[in-house]
Amino acid sequence: MKDFEALKVIWHNQITLPKVSHEDVFKKIRKAKNGLSRRLLIEIIGMCIATIAILSIWWIIPFTMWTTHLAIIIFLACCLYYIIAMIGNYQQINYDKLINKPEDYINYLKAYKEKRYVLNTRKYRLYSIFLSLGFLLYFVEMSFLMPQWLTILALVLTFSWIAYSSFVLMRIYIKREESKLEGMIHNLERIQKQFEDNDL
Amino acid sequence: MSKESLFKEIFEANSKKIYHLCYGYTGDDESANDLMQETFMKVWQNLDKFRNQALISTWIYRIAVNTCLSYLRVEKRHPKDELTDNIIETKGEEISEKNEQISSLYKCIAQLEENERIIITMVLDELPYAEIAAISGISEGNLRVKIHRIKQKLTEIYNKYERF
Repeated sequence: MKDFEALKVIWHNQITLPKVSHEDVFKKIRKAKNGLSRRLLIEIIGMCIATIAILSIWWIIPFTMWTTHLAIIIFLACCLYYIIAMIGNYQQINYDKLINKPEDYINYLKAYKEKRYVLNTRKYRLYSIFLSLGFLLYFVEMSFLMPQWLTILALVLTFSWIAYSSFVLMRIYIKREESKLEGMIHNLERIQKQFEDNDL
Repeated sequence: MSKESLFKEIFEANSKKIYHLCYGYTGDDESANDLMQETFMKVWQNLDKFRNQALISTWIYRIAVNTCLSYLRVEKRHPKDELTDNIIETKGEEISEKNEQISSLYKCIAQLEENERIIITMVLDELPYAEIAAISGISEGNLRVKIHRIKQKLTEIYNKYERF
């Protein structure tokens, strides 16, 4: 037979310790944020490689028609625009002080989600239009250098790819990114709401 | 002191007791860790509001209690039987006598009512009655009576459990 004091002794002898540290709490919020940053960084690096490749082609191949030079300038402008937009986003999401202002974090994420939506829809559409224009101009010179069937094939493949990227891949990308941001916002808001409801 | 160092200090001073509360409430180590993490996320998220609170441990305990209650409501879990059965079954003979006693105690706590589980873990962790009253929202007089009953109930359950 044990009395309550004996149970208390048992309780204080327990060695079961929490497996969560204060760092884990921070990690949970940071984890989702870092996932986004990494993807943006990969996109920036990818676009930089594409820009270098275009510059190299422009330098190595002696294009003769003005349409090709204009096409390359458009391509480079598109790449530059994309890189600048991505760097802006990357810097925003890497603004470390945000983690120190939890009360502002939800509002920040909402604003960020809006900005990303504009970038991924309106701005991306404009980018695709210019990219298509660039390819059209580029294929003018190519049509004189390549057999007709190859030019048509290249045109069909290029524009099919642009259309596929815009209407299929981009939609999947937007959906995934939105759901990730939405998840972060939802979790933080749920916590905030519970806190307010409980009126501690 | 930076917000991060303040949080670290608060975490180190309170995490063990909050974990006990969550463990006593859910009877499951994994859920207890999850709930403790969620509790401290709320603490971090609302650290500025704490500045108006008299006692931080009371404030954190209340967050933890509400987190546990919300968790059970969402998960629709009834930890009464599964939890410590699980602990005993999975760890089996490897666990020491002390651990076995702890497991039995948690199993017995799991048989108490929701509010009783919360109160008794705080009593076992030797929180002052005034603080338990503030956390549970019960007057100190009523709380003393309640605690007396819960102590008796738990002791009875434990002794009965030990006999079998």
